[in-house]
Amino acid sequence: MKSAIYLLSIAVLALGLYSYEVRKDNEHLEQTVQAQYTNALTNASEKLSTLQQSVSQSLLFQDQVALNNELDNIWRISNEFRSTISSLPLSREVSNEWLRYVGNIGEEAKFAADNGNYESWHKRMTVVNDNLQALSDEWTVATADFYQNDASINEWASVAEKETDESPFKSVTANLKSYGETDFPLTASESDWIKKKELQNLEDEEITKEQAIDKLEVLIPDIKDANYTVSKSKDDAPYPFYHIQFAKGSRVGYADITVKGGFILSFLSERPVQEKTGVTQQEIREQVSQFLKDAGYRDLQIVEMRENHQAWHLSLARVVGEDKALVYPDGVQVKVSKDSGELLGLNAMEYVQKEEINEDQKVEPIDWEAFFRPGTQVEEEQLIYTENEAFQLRKCYQVIAHFTNGKNETFRVVVDAENHDVIKVEYMS
Amino acid sequence: MVRSIILSVVLIFGTLTIIKPDEPLAFSGQTIERGAFGDDVIELQARLQYLGFYKGKIDGIFGYGTYWALRNFQEQYGLGIDGIAGSKTKNKLAGISDYDSEWVHQQIEKGNRFTYYGGIPLAQQTSAGAGTSESTDVQLPVKYSERDLQLMANAVYGESRGEPYEGQVAVAAVILNRLESPDFPNSISEIIFQPGAFTAVADGQIWLTPNARAKEAVLDAMNGWDPTENALYYFNPKTATSKWIWSRPQIKQIGEHIFCY
Repeated sequence: MKSAIYLLSIAVLALGLYSYEVRKDNEHLEQTVQAQYTNALTNASEKLSTLQQSVSQSLLFQDQVALNNELDNIWRISNEFRSTISSLPLSREVSNEWLRYVGNIGEEAKFAADNGNYESWHKRMTVVNDNLQALSDEWTVATADFYQNDASINEWASVAEKETDESPFKSVTANLKSYGETDFPLTASESDWIKKKELQNLEDEEITKEQAIDKLEVLIPDIKDANYTVSKSKDDAPYPFYHIQFAKGSRVGYADITVKGGFILSFLSERPVQEKTGVTQQEIREQVSQFLKDAGYRDLQIVEMRENHQAWHLSLARVVGEDKALVYPDGVQVKVSKDSGELLGLNAMEYVQKEEINEDQKVEPIDWEAFFRPGTQVEEEQLIYTENEAFQLRKCYQVIAHFTNGKNETFRVVVDAENHDVIKVEYMS
Repeated sequence: MVRSIILSVVLIFGTLTIIKPDEPLAFSGQTIERGAFGDDVIELQARLQYLGFYKGKIDGIFGYGTYWALRNFQEQYGLGIDGIAGSKTKNKLAGISDYDSEWVHQQIEKGNRFTYYGGIPLAQQTSAGAGTSESTDVQLPVKYSERDLQLMANAVYGESRGEPYEGQVAVAAVILNRLESPDFPNSISEIIFQPGAFTAVADGQIWLTPNARAKEAVLDAMNGWDPTENALYYFNPKTATSKWIWSRPQIKQIGEHIFCY
């Protein structure tokens, strides 16, 4: 009996010590996390204040150099603020509104610096400056509780879980939303871009579920007579489509087809694929070209092929005009199995509503030797259409340039064909 | 009798040589060009490096580094300059360079840092590396890195490993849609680790080792597939309690997840 009591006492003592240690560890962890959150909150508050001051300072200058310096600061601070705010455990709505509003300020600064559109900047920022000041004040009030002596990690946990209407950020979020709509209304190009992305302009005749399956089977004969489950998109979806899930043997997959017009948006099939290839790259290219022609995609050109363990991924772009310019936003992607060349996927979402091409845009020649530094060689030149930062479709030169120093570092450079603005530079591995 | 056997053997070998005169002993029979990936490319890079034309990493990915090196080789040896390794180019390469396939593959499998220059003992050209051979795993679109793939595969596996393949591609697509949206941070890492953004981060399931299926799903999303039709959020209707998430415009349901704007 004595031994049992002795053993029990030891066990209780050990358990007590263990739970004490665990509690200590948890407390330590909570304090560390709380310190990090408080630090991030302080950083965010300071950056918000610095951003407001910087916007205010930008209203001082007419001098281009001085103003550009301030615009660079604004772009940098807005990015830092976005990064800091996204590391805080705020509710989704609060976080989204901050990221969008401050991101707009940064983008506007970059756009003004790139295009020299200072008058528009000054006009817009006079209002933004006042609004930022108001937001900064509201933010200070909303976050005051997090610095109180009895603040704990529970404060953060409750903020993340609360609906915005019940949180201390209710007022600041409502104002962010309202200022965002008035200070940064969508431009015509942005609005067009969203409409196109959402396929809202389709006016073709509606098709039935059965017709959608027929379309799919014509396009992908390998899944003919599969078991289908067809559902329609939810009522809130900006454009209605059929969601077709299929299973046939080892093949399982889906296809989305628009209700209006029966355009295939995407198709993807999964099946076991052997790693060893029996089909050559040339054969894959020919098979894909043939498939796309048969499926009615007759104006596409392969622009990239990437082989991996199981499949090839191919990117294609629409070809237009006498100069055979590639329209990148009207792209199609294809996935093909390496073992048999079977089509495993097709993504034609961007191809459904084609871009309107501005045939009148001028093409001014570029002297690449003067454009690039010595030691750079231009190997491939191609005219393409792509969107600039303002979502305007521009005709551009696309060149592949590489250093001739033996390292062969290679870049894809896209330059506006009319005004020679650099739209994009990509490092190619 | 012996004479006729010898004659037959000579005839058979002679016929085979005449039928396939250009087939190199090295490499497979495939033409190798930009975009290719695998053992043939490893051999091509190693042989080009052996001759001093290729200074990059031997990783089995036929990118621009390999392309320029091959063109330079073709130019120097009077071959047609097209950056494509056909039978003539492969024969020439195989004829003037050595290739120790076993050694090269061993280095890759061990994740060693190594080169394969001719005239230098192989033992002097290798050192222990990170211990993984991930660089030979996949070819990604230029805007993504292997780190992005790894992080996204972890997130997809942690969030949706019980979902159909379409549902896994969909989760990856949501992450990439957020990358394009002004409402979210600017990098894949920041998006995944944004507090409260993904359950798998909160409950630690993101640290499970993802399987090949999750990686393939991410690869498809990175290559443009988006089964969600531009969704920015998803939730499980059986467990979601947030009024806000229920207020979002819904697009479609895949498996257990409703995808919405």
